[in-house]
Amino acid sequence: MFRYTFRWDTVWNNFDFLMSGLQMTLLLSVITLVLAMLLGLVLALLDMAKYAPLRWVGVGFGEVIRNTPILVQLLWVYYVLPIVFGIRIEAFTALVVGLSVYQAAFISEVYRSGIQAVPKGHREAAQVLGLTPVQSFRRIVLPQAIRMTLPPLASNFVQLIKFSSLGAVISVNEITRRGMELSASTFRPLEIFTFIAVVYFFICWPLAMGIRLWERRLLAQ
Amino acid sequence: MTSPSPRDELPIISADGVSKSFGDNRVLNKVSLDVKTRDVVCVIGPSGSGKTTLLRCLAMLEIPSDGRIVMQGTTISTPAPDATVRKAARAVRPEIGMVFQHFNLWPHRTVLENVIEAPLLVKRTPRADAIATAEALLDKVGLADKRDAYPARLSGGQQQRVAIARALAMSPKVMLFDEPTSALDPELRREVLAVMRQLAAEGMTMLVVTHEMGFARHVGSRVVFMDRGEIVEEGAPAAFFSAPKTERAQRFLQQFED
Repeated sequence: MFRYTFRWDTVWNNFDFLMSGLQMTLLLSVITLVLAMLLGLVLALLDMAKYAPLRWVGVGFGEVIRNTPILVQLLWVYYVLPIVFGIRIEAFTALVVGLSVYQAAFISEVYRSGIQAVPKGHREAAQVLGLTPVQSFRRIVLPQAIRMTLPPLASNFVQLIKFSSLGAVISVNEITRRGMELSASTFRPLEIFTFIAVVYFFICWPLAMGIRLWERRLLAQ
Repeated sequence: MTSPSPRDELPIISADGVSKSFGDNRVLNKVSLDVKTRDVVCVIGPSGSGKTTLLRCLAMLEIPSDGRIVMQGTTISTPAPDATVRKAARAVRPEIGMVFQHFNLWPHRTVLENVIEAPLLVKRTPRADAIATAEALLDKVGLADKRDAYPARLSGGQQQRVAIARALAMSPKVMLFDEPTSALDPELRREVLAVMRQLAAEGMTMLVVTHEMGFARHVGSRVVFMDRGEIVEEGAPAAFFSAPKTERAQRFLQQFED
């Protein structure tokens, strides 16, 4: 260790290669967040459905996803789904599907607590005035719930950026995978993975700090 | 003067043998009550007597366990409503206005938006008309200058007056008030009661669950005294307050004497 000669030029010389991985990481995270937000809403509505079988589906699905490791789920989507359905799934698609489903199971809880935090009286006022349940949900409940769920949703985004590194295992060309490839050809893991860790940190840390400030401001209102 | 049509003679809204249980707890026991045009019925009684539950059954926020709610001859709520009843309920829903103890204004909407929401969505009133009506109503409750404020910026009394304007915006045939002043400091109650008194004077049909004995006595056209889920006594305010017939009513009124 002490005799180690740093070769940071390995990083600089392959900067574009690594940054193309970062682009992929961010693209993945954004697509996955959008899908997870939509799927999470469906799950949250299932969880709160009046019709019991729908509720069982929502709750059961959520419990399975939340209580199995994300890596196993990704491997399952990538290797098992093709066997079951006899289709070929691209690594990128598998990662997007796996991450979205995983994150949706957590986001649905965020939504559910947001929706349940809206006082019952607000819905009753809408009901008495003749708004349909759908109108009341869309116009009265959802706008208030969203306001409360924005900070936790943003935190989920930070998590997604980090989880997307798991794509390396199923050979999606995000930044961690790029690092593995580069390390295999240059034998410079120390410089490369240190650099990548720093990149993740400087993306995730400001986001997390921003969210904390934002939450504090929302609480103050 | 034209003689009133038969439809006008029917009670605006009635509870017909309504019972309500929550689990094993029987909150209402075969309550029957008619509210006629221009009636100002004040429902009083100790807490837990079923007053609010009765009101919530009339507002169709609770489904009765037994009995039915009737609006101008049409059944609108039963323990197991069929398609006809459900359709009738939807049709008359906007004609029943309700004001809650805790106002229940929507905090993410301005005062004006709170008032125009239901006319826009339910009655499909053109936006300009809805705004004009809302402004007139806000003026009536003395809050024209607050139209663009958010509810959190208003006092409790102001919020409750907005809630009254919001209910009035649907031009209801009857207004149900659920302890509208109970959540307010004494000095704010007066402004809400003044608006209610004005409504009564204009001929609005009202059913008011209240602890305001002064209001019941001077504004009410009829007083209904409830205890343990039943109507124990009812009559004209003057007679009820000066000489209650039942012992339970006497005991209840004694609390307010000092």
